[in-house]
Amino acid sequence: MGMAEAIEKAKKVKFVIFDIHGILTDNTLFYTQEGVKSEAYSLHDKLGLKALMDSGIGVSFLTSKVARDVEQMAKVYGMPADMLWGSSAKMGRLDEFEKATGYTDADICYVGDEMIDLGIMKRSHFSVAPSDGSPEARAIADLVTNAGGGKGVARELAEFILKAQGKWDAFVAQFK
Amino acid sequence: MAFEKDMSVAQERASKIKLFAHDIHGVLTTNTVFCDVEGNRRYAFWHMDGFGDLSLMANDIKPVFLDSTSMDGEGLFRAKELKLDKMYFAVTDKLAKLEELKKEFGLTDEQIGYIGCELTDIPVMKKVGFAVAVADAIPEVKEIAHYITKAPGGRGPIREICEVILRAMGKWDEWVEKVTKMGYK
Repeated sequence: MGMAEAIEKAKKVKFVIFDIHGILTDNTLFYTQEGVKSEAYSLHDKLGLKALMDSGIGVSFLTSKVARDVEQMAKVYGMPADMLWGSSAKMGRLDEFEKATGYTDADICYVGDEMIDLGIMKRSHFSVAPSDGSPEARAIADLVTNAGGGKGVARELAEFILKAQGKWDAFVAQFK
Repeated sequence: MAFEKDMSVAQERASKIKLFAHDIHGVLTTNTVFCDVEGNRRYAFWHMDGFGDLSLMANDIKPVFLDSTSMDGEGLFRAKELKLDKMYFAVTDKLAKLEELKKEFGLTDEQIGYIGCELTDIPVMKKVGFAVAVADAIPEVKEIAHYITKAPGGRGPIREICEVILRAMGKWDEWVEKVTKMGYK
């Protein structure tokens, strides 16, 4: 997939769905002796997610089960609670969302890294995989980020999409 | 030290296994223990190794945790999350446990795979049909392994080895196709 084609696809994106494990996290799962689980996220992504939302592009997290650490990180990222989607039937969940909102597959960007994401990546208009995603996911992705999972994938993708849409400068202007 | 492994031998051996046992620390974890001032200990596992075990189970290969160095419930919590029904912690004699497993499931040595990293894993690895070492295993373990994963412990060796096993069995492409269609209830 050429870069020019990826930019063309990014122009049409209205809604970005992020898989969590291996995208927003680096795949590491920490367990304490009491069974309390924690995961490694990136603060770089906070700005990326904010940039998307501030620019009118919807964002959701889609994972098989929304664990408590995801809820906590969603607060850090400023994500609306109703945009944390827990479903093992990822495509069924997207159908539900499209039916409720009127968005179609042509508006959707999906970011995934594993075989379980292949189906939803194929139907989304713009599909993205991290640099350390599985070979299968990288092979079908419209864009492979330079960042690996948990190392700023959302930050990099936000800049890519907003630049393609000509919205990046307006977002950056507030910091100057 | 580099150890050259014959991939065709590894594939031949991998194609026969019905049960795949994992050491925990250094294989499923990075071997790091984060210990805070309150005495909370934290261990780093790898999310996508869960998908590896799920893939094995879905293709009729039984994953088993066979661990010698657990101090806490860390392996238990992970095993529960993966819905494993066979797990043994703080096992001092892994070889005896292997014999028990063979009897329980009616398996031969050739039908058992094992992934390890340390001296304690060597007796079992010498016996089983398919012995695997992680990338950062000690040289003695790498030497006797039939396959060495590219991934070090706690960084995805089970996801990697499940693909090696299922490809050796000729089941991988079918599994990819099946997983791609998952996602509708």
